[in-house]
Amino acid sequence: MTPSPRKLRFAYMDHWRIDGPQGFVSPYSSVKLLDGFVKQIAALGFEGLETFDFHLDVLTDLFGSLGNAREFLQERGIDRMVSLFHAVIFKNGVSQPHERATHDMLFNNAHRIVKSSGGLGVLNLIVMPAGQYYDVEPVTDERIRAAADLWSRVGKMTLEYGIRVCCHHEFYCGIHHFEEVRKFYEWSDPRYVFWYCDTAQHTIAGVDPVDLYMRLHDRCGGFHLKDAHHVDRVGDYRQRPESEVTGKTTPRWFWEMGTPEGLVNFPALFAAMKEYGYQGWVGVEHDKADIGGGNYPASTAIAAWYIRNVLQKIYA
Amino acid sequence: MREQNISASGGIKWGYAFNQWKVGWQGFARVDDNVRALKITSACGFRNVELTAGTGPWDPLGRPESIVMNFGSVRKFAAQFGDWGIERFTGVFLDPTQLSFEEGHFGLRTTRRDDHALISQQAAVFARFLSEIGGEYLVLQPLPAYWQEGALTPDALRTAAELINPLGAANAALGLKTYLHLDALSALRTPEQLDDLLALCPAPHIGLAVDTAELTIVGHDVVALYRRYHERVLHFHFKDALATDTLSEYQLPHADRVMILAGGKREIPRWFGELGTGLVDFKGLVKAMRELDYRGWVIVESDKGPQPVASSVMLNSWYLQNELQPLLAAPVVAG
Repeated sequence: MTPSPRKLRFAYMDHWRIDGPQGFVSPYSSVKLLDGFVKQIAALGFEGLETFDFHLDVLTDLFGSLGNAREFLQERGIDRMVSLFHAVIFKNGVSQPHERATHDMLFNNAHRIVKSSGGLGVLNLIVMPAGQYYDVEPVTDERIRAAADLWSRVGKMTLEYGIRVCCHHEFYCGIHHFEEVRKFYEWSDPRYVFWYCDTAQHTIAGVDPVDLYMRLHDRCGGFHLKDAHHVDRVGDYRQRPESEVTGKTTPRWFWEMGTPEGLVNFPALFAAMKEYGYQGWVGVEHDKADIGGGNYPASTAIAAWYIRNVLQKIYA
Repeated sequence: MREQNISASGGIKWGYAFNQWKVGWQGFARVDDNVRALKITSACGFRNVELTAGTGPWDPLGRPESIVMNFGSVRKFAAQFGDWGIERFTGVFLDPTQLSFEEGHFGLRTTRRDDHALISQQAAVFARFLSEIGGEYLVLQPLPAYWQEGALTPDALRTAAELINPLGAANAALGLKTYLHLDALSALRTPEQLDDLLALCPAPHIGLAVDTAELTIVGHDVVALYRRYHERVLHFHFKDALATDTLSEYQLPHADRVMILAGGKREIPRWFGELGTGLVDFKGLVKAMRELDYRGWVIVESDKGPQPVASSVMLNSWYLQNELQPLLAAPVVAG
């Protein structure tokens, strides 16, 4: 068999909802619903999935084991669950990366997840490296160092399971301004802490993801390619209870690649990925694509169109 | 992205229909939405598209006049669709019983001689358009629905043939084939009537379009039907059928609404489904097509399904790539 000359393989970060007789439901509700979801993703040419760690239990129950679940994916053209998004509720005094006293709880939580994920082929544990900005500020150097130390410790542990900790900076994360991000990667252990480039989140935060990639390319563990039509110019990152859904700027922050209003320079990003020789998985994400009447299948197909017709001509 | 397994296999060329996107008269009227739908179709691996004849200013790709209005000219349109990931618009589906504002009618019948001139005029509009953009065929609904026409008489068939033959010759003069498409409500119900129609229209540039779901709803076994008529079958529409018309509801007044859209007495929620989800034996059919060396277009359809349409196109793409294409790639076993 001739090895594929392709340097990049594409994975789909799942927020999918299916509009059916019961209203909007998660595909993780039955084998039949998952079957339809996975086939749609595979039909477009995606080869991997990314999902949330809270789906591990239901996957085990639906298929008997996570190994069986992976076999189900592979039968439909999806090789592995590339990443788990570690869904942590950050709470002051209980679970906050900037509070060292809570680190054992966060470490043990991550340990439980990676221990229980065997069989799915997981390569990345994606984490938001700090709590919401309004809980973390003032974002002092000591607080950034505390978060860096936590994820270095967690990352060392997860690597024993073959899984990398990849930090994903939501625009409302306690570490999202350029200087905060720079310090975090300077102070975290490069052997154990990787950067996940979410193109929309950085753009909304006013940080150019292409520039950031060029600075952090040797720490880059993967991507969430999605677009944004707005930059947060009014401090929406402090908006309670969660800026992604209650921000004042727009009801819909995230868009698929390929919309004319998009702010992310994806061709420049792919040119930079080519220049620095990135190889491996590239995630595509549509978060809250259904806001305003959109739907996940159409957004996913448009993003796939954009990859095939624009980005792969730059770097594949 | 992984290469998609939707290539021409032997003589079979795959395309996708565009009829499923239109919602009501004034829905789906923006060019941007049409382009987005074409990109979605392309992303699913279908880079050849069959259009449906439309009417009015709300259907940017439904009439050549609309294309000129929206894109400047047919040539400019033809120069542009490659940018959307579309290689070819293969043909146009035309049902003369549908109203046309441009030709000024609320539906014509091929079985009425008085309607022939206007049907020919309408078909010629699309034929000229197709010849300009590299299309290959016109799919024609050759007969009215049973609820409109009643039981089909030999005289009505002959009258329809008097239209179809010169219309097919005019198309052939432009390099186009003409395919006769029968749907679930057609006045033509039996193989004997089909024998007569094909005998009355013997030219090699006129053939039969087999719509797998429509004919299954009627009660035909489409694999057997294809084997019987394979020498005259020049075109396919692939969609699945989720039920058959066991109550003969095709006879009901306005069966297009009462039976197809409202589901008839049984309130059938969907007559048409994605490939592999219903009654059509697609694997048996493609094996027969391969065995009998079918050469032509197969247009996959998502007809009247639930939203989102993209979901249906993606599911059909998966089934084609993973269930049908491997059958076409496998070596032919003799005997």
